[in-house]
Amino acid sequence: MKLRNRTTGPSKVEIPMAPLIDIVFLLLIFFMLNLKIVSPEGNFNINMPIGAPTAAAAEQNLPDIKVSLRSDREGRLTEMTLGSKNLGNDDAAFERLNQEILTIIGRPGNPLTKEVEVEIDADYETQYKYVVKAISKCTGRFDPGSKQIARYVEKIKFSPPHKPKA
Amino acid sequence: MKLGKIAMGFSEPDMTPMIDIVFQLLTFFMIAINFENTKADERVKLPKDVLAKPPAVKPEHELVLNFGYQRDESGVRVNSIPEVFYNERYIEVRQISPDLDQERRVMERIHGTEVIKDVTVLIRADSEVPTGLVQELIKKCQEAGFSKFSLRAMAEEL
Repeated sequence: MKLRNRTTGPSKVEIPMAPLIDIVFLLLIFFMLNLKIVSPEGNFNINMPIGAPTAAAAEQNLPDIKVSLRSDREGRLTEMTLGSKNLGNDDAAFERLNQEILTIIGRPGNPLTKEVEVEIDADYETQYKYVVKAISKCTGRFDPGSKQIARYVEKIKFSPPHKPKA
Repeated sequence: MKLGKIAMGFSEPDMTPMIDIVFQLLTFFMIAINFENTKADERVKLPKDVLAKPPAVKPEHELVLNFGYQRDESGVRVNSIPEVFYNERYIEVRQISPDLDQERRVMERIHGTEVIKDVTVLIRADSEVPTGLVQELIKKCQEAGFSKFSLRAMAEEL
């Protein structure tokens, strides 16, 4: 068998570019159409064991942290209390809650934070965003300078639900 | 001056820079795309929070429940009672139990009967729903056998 072509020495092999570009364009269009610019979402874990009330916290004589959220019939926050302390109902109230929690746990990362549990006691009508905000203020603090999150309390639970206001 | 050769020849454009750019674009879109949020329902206006960061470890089994109001195009509520958006249907919380039971049965058939202990229920609730109804939803889930719960919030940049 004669290999006539080979005898002329190595020649430049042309890669067919057209199919490659076709596929790449298809992929490009697919990803472009599928792109949705949404902010990422995060979770707050809550501790809701079935049935049995949490006996563990009571046994260890830990401070019982209870955050109560009272609201009007439209669900707007009227009063937030930590234990028996009234914190108010504005944005500053949530900052105060954050401060109070820090005072209770001492410092972020304290081993105590794994044991302590915060109980959220919200009125039936309270808008969900206030509850999430309160949970957030109990679980930690975002430091805008260092972009780090200082973790406060890890366990969050809900009180038994209230009845709707008649 | 002779222009014979240029006029006659079939000149091929240089593809290399174009392909470079196209690959760059392709890579950008591939990285920017987020398949994680395909279960996210845009009808639910999640509460925003700075501490809401995507979890480092994704739960192995999860059940996403979208809970919010039916709204029209301008965002006005159509129905004053919030509902769970479940498989293209709208279900009120007090009627959700049969669907949760079915969800449990399907999971048990696929992953075995012990799976229910590992399933995390992700609650994506609208920022304006009454908390009492969210708690009721959690209670219904507990009655169906689910025990791990997570509340979703949207990350907020400062």
